[in-house]
Amino acid sequence: MSQAVVSVNVAVLLPVLAPAFGAAVVLIADVAVQRLRRAHYIVALASLVVGALATVPGLGAGDVRQTLCLPGSGQCLYAADGVASALQLAALLAASVTLLLSWPDDKKQSQGATAVTVSLVLAATAGATAVAGARDLGSWLVALELATLPTVALVALRGARSAISGAVALLTTALVSFGLLALAAALWFTATGTGFLTPAAALTVIADPTRRPILVLAVALVVAGIGFKLSLVPFHAWTPEAYDGAPLPIAAFLAGVSKIAALAALLVVIRAIVPLGASVLTSIAAVAAVSMTLGNVMALRQDGVVRLLAWSTVAQAGWVVLPLATLSTLAVEASGAYLLAYVLATLLAFAVVAALVQTRGAARARDLASYRGLVQDHPLLAAALGLALLSLAGLPPGVLGLVAKVTALRPVVASELWLLAVIAAVNAVLGVAVYLRWVRVLFASPDAVPGPSTHVGTDDVGGVQSLAVKAHPATLAAVGFAAVMLVLASLSPQLILGLLGH
Amino acid sequence: VVILLVGALVVPALAGTALVLSGRDSMTSSESNANRVSLVASLATAALVLAAVITRPAVDQPWLPALGVRMQFAVDGISAPLLLLTAALGVAVVVNARSRPPHGASPATFYGCLLLVEFGALATFLSRDAVVFFLSFEIVLIPMWVLISRYGDSHDLAARADASGRFVLYTVLGSTLMLVGILTLVHVSGTANLDELAAAHGAGIDRPTQVIIAALLLVGLGIKIPLFPLHTWLPPAHTIAPTAGSVLLAAVLLKMGTYGVVRLVIAPLPLGFGALAPVFAALGVIGILWGGLACLVENDLKRLIAYSSVAHMGFVVLGLSSGTTVGLQAALFANVAHGVVSALLFFLVGGLKERWGSADLATARAALREVSPRLGLALVVGFAASLGLPGLVGFWGEFLAMYSAWSPAPDRPEGLMRVLAVVAVTGTAVAAGYSLRVLRLIWSGDRTLPAHDDARGGEWSVLAVLVASVLVLGRAPGLLLNTTIKDVSAITSEVSR
Repeated sequence: MSQAVVSVNVAVLLPVLAPAFGAAVVLIADVAVQRLRRAHYIVALASLVVGALATVPGLGAGDVRQTLCLPGSGQCLYAADGVASALQLAALLAASVTLLLSWPDDKKQSQGATAVTVSLVLAATAGATAVAGARDLGSWLVALELATLPTVALVALRGARSAISGAVALLTTALVSFGLLALAAALWFTATGTGFLTPAAALTVIADPTRRPILVLAVALVVAGIGFKLSLVPFHAWTPEAYDGAPLPIAAFLAGVSKIAALAALLVVIRAIVPLGASVLTSIAAVAAVSMTLGNVMALRQDGVVRLLAWSTVAQAGWVVLPLATLSTLAVEASGAYLLAYVLATLLAFAVVAALVQTRGAARARDLASYRGLVQDHPLLAAALGLALLSLAGLPPGVLGLVAKVTALRPVVASELWLLAVIAAVNAVLGVAVYLRWVRVLFASPDAVPGPSTHVGTDDVGGVQSLAVKAHPATLAAVGFAAVMLVLASLSPQLILGLLGH
Repeated sequence: VVILLVGALVVPALAGTALVLSGRDSMTSSESNANRVSLVASLATAALVLAAVITRPAVDQPWLPALGVRMQFAVDGISAPLLLLTAALGVAVVVNARSRPPHGASPATFYGCLLLVEFGALATFLSRDAVVFFLSFEIVLIPMWVLISRYGDSHDLAARADASGRFVLYTVLGSTLMLVGILTLVHVSGTANLDELAAAHGAGIDRPTQVIIAALLLVGLGIKIPLFPLHTWLPPAHTIAPTAGSVLLAAVLLKMGTYGVVRLVIAPLPLGFGALAPVFAALGVIGILWGGLACLVENDLKRLIAYSSVAHMGFVVLGLSSGTTVGLQAALFANVAHGVVSALLFFLVGGLKERWGSADLATARAALREVSPRLGLALVVGFAASLGLPGLVGFWGEFLAMYSAWSPAPDRPEGLMRVLAVVAVTGTAVAAGYSLRVLRLIWSGDRTLPAHDDARGGEWSVLAVLVASVLVLGRAPGLLLNTTIKDVSAITSEVSR
């Protein structure tokens, strides 16, 4: 007789436990010692790094790390394979970059919400890593909401009018999405008779064809519910609103960690139904095609960089789910690889924008026209931003983005979905137009830039070499970290692809 | 020996990246330093390429095991002439820029982009993996876009933005369609190795699938060639691009399209290409006529040569479509011939445009033969070669292409191909017409005002070498034909089985 209680392996759960524990420590420390600020960030960063290190054994083609296994049946509530571990690692690193971007500035007066912000970021990150490993409906649903709801508060915390409207849009979306997902969970249970999100559970419907439509409906509702979180058309409307209203680091969080959480949740379900047969998920194909097209077309019309990045997220979300139009393990890995490439490039773009907000002031960094002549003013920042944008566009030197597009198209082509492949090809062109529009501005002669820099804060340092002094070192560290990762990944995309299990 | 091959890629890549990244106030940013660095780099690259062409090394390293993509590079008879052409022109554009320095932003970026274009082109011609071929194909885009959009003709900024944007977007559409085709090809044939694909000759792929893949690839590559009616990006790009950009665009980048047709369509998909060859050939011949007729009325000299490129590439397409050894040989020869002639003409016309301030033919100028005999000589040789005068390099490729269309492979529709051959002949008459028109307008006459200086220094040495190549390859076409024959007959022997 095996032990009667659920087994718990802390080492395996550490990617989830570390940020959750960090969040608790930050809240307790805030109660115990007033006016701590940097300490919160250090604790948070440390917990994220610990979590990231804990994902390493699961990366690549390593063992599937399982825990919370039920006695008797041997079913486990938590399992992290290569894809899940890679997504967890990405979520933890993306959250670290977000924290670096919002690192407190000594010169600025405290806004009093440091501990809350940090713990919310950690909580949402814990949700993201948990959903990647969740293998039962309950923890899957709870983890996904844990990844979502703190972001509403994070957007709203700034208190500005635009922030509130962004938060309301996000909250409404989150509620509708939760409703759809709860319904999907109920249908899944009805169809399979178990609460497990595993292939074994999905295979039970084969025995009873009448239950198959119920499962199909459940999957469709999952796609819709996750579609909200991934910003897929027609569930995308909140995205530009929330990105633009949120503080920049939080927008980066929404574009990074939140998307990882959403895709991780979707992949849990997709992997469960892969053995059902290689039927084509037409709804995903349609959603992918419409998302890329609308996202690119709208991004082409934006003059603010944050809104441009928001619409670019919509378009890239289409690329992320594109391979999932064909049900296969190949598609799951391709989708994960595309997401990682997108997150890396987008975070770098956000980090550069944040650095410029600090050096030039928000008014002169959120506007596309203010990027004129960046190549001359800040060659390194311009190079980093250029690399990020070209990666998103999928053109060398952003080889990672190009390889990601190759990876994403491969399953589509292998399933002979010609129409979808051609739509994707046309969207590759539209995407190039979107990002080159920004790159072109970087090169333009800076004649039209008005007035001196209006930065608040670090003016007293009397900086000779403008940038190194004015932008916060933590922000520059975030830029540097993301840029080095992107350069390495462009030289050898296998670094990213290998994480997922090849 | 492998180091030669790797070096030929690494040297331009590293030197180009270093130049592009070097800031305003570093050592390399001054015009002369940047020129010196890029001259050394391009000479070293040329030496390495030459050594690699002689020794024929091969590299095979895993790169993306997740996708089954390998770093496979090798030289064979089909790629060797194009590699030498690319490396030689890589040196030529830098030497020419010593006399005709770039205008616009930082010179270091200009030279860096030239080297990066060279790197991408060499990688394209060297790669033996279909996916690496695609990636290399894309490498040239951004540097060329920077060359056009930053260093191009700045008279009309909107036109410059339009030309550079159109260049990138058309080419990206083409290459993404090509990617879809490549991925399908790799999926159905189970290998991405171009040599294995060529050796299989489409075995195991049924005809409808071959036709679909070939159609995707031909549309994608057709944009690059450029094939009528997908050519509309080329004239504005050439008109705006700086001299070095025009030269590399016409002489190197367009060749990547036809080279891709040989490697990715004709060799691995004989049935698919056979089905589409008549359409492909017909569009090529329409391009010959269309380009020629446009040249008869075009008043912008650079745009005129761009249209003549469309016509010349039409002959390459016709040769490729014939399905015979002669046709393929003709196409590869015409490819290189157009590379040499268009490079000569674009160097010349770029220099003239800088002297004149515009490239408008309607403005009365001093006759070249009166004020600048060297430029005049180069112009006469260039246009004589362009109209296909026997004894010059332009003759062999076009003559053989028409011959091969007259007696095509058995599975081609002979009647249609003969009609196309006849139409192509009229195309050469049109070529004679526009060539003589240009010579009449700017070479002959007795006006000596406004005077301008003749070519000397770097500019003259580049023109002289190109004129010499036109004459040498025209007198001894065997130099080139013998290099390609072995690998070409390996492709066609199976096709015409």
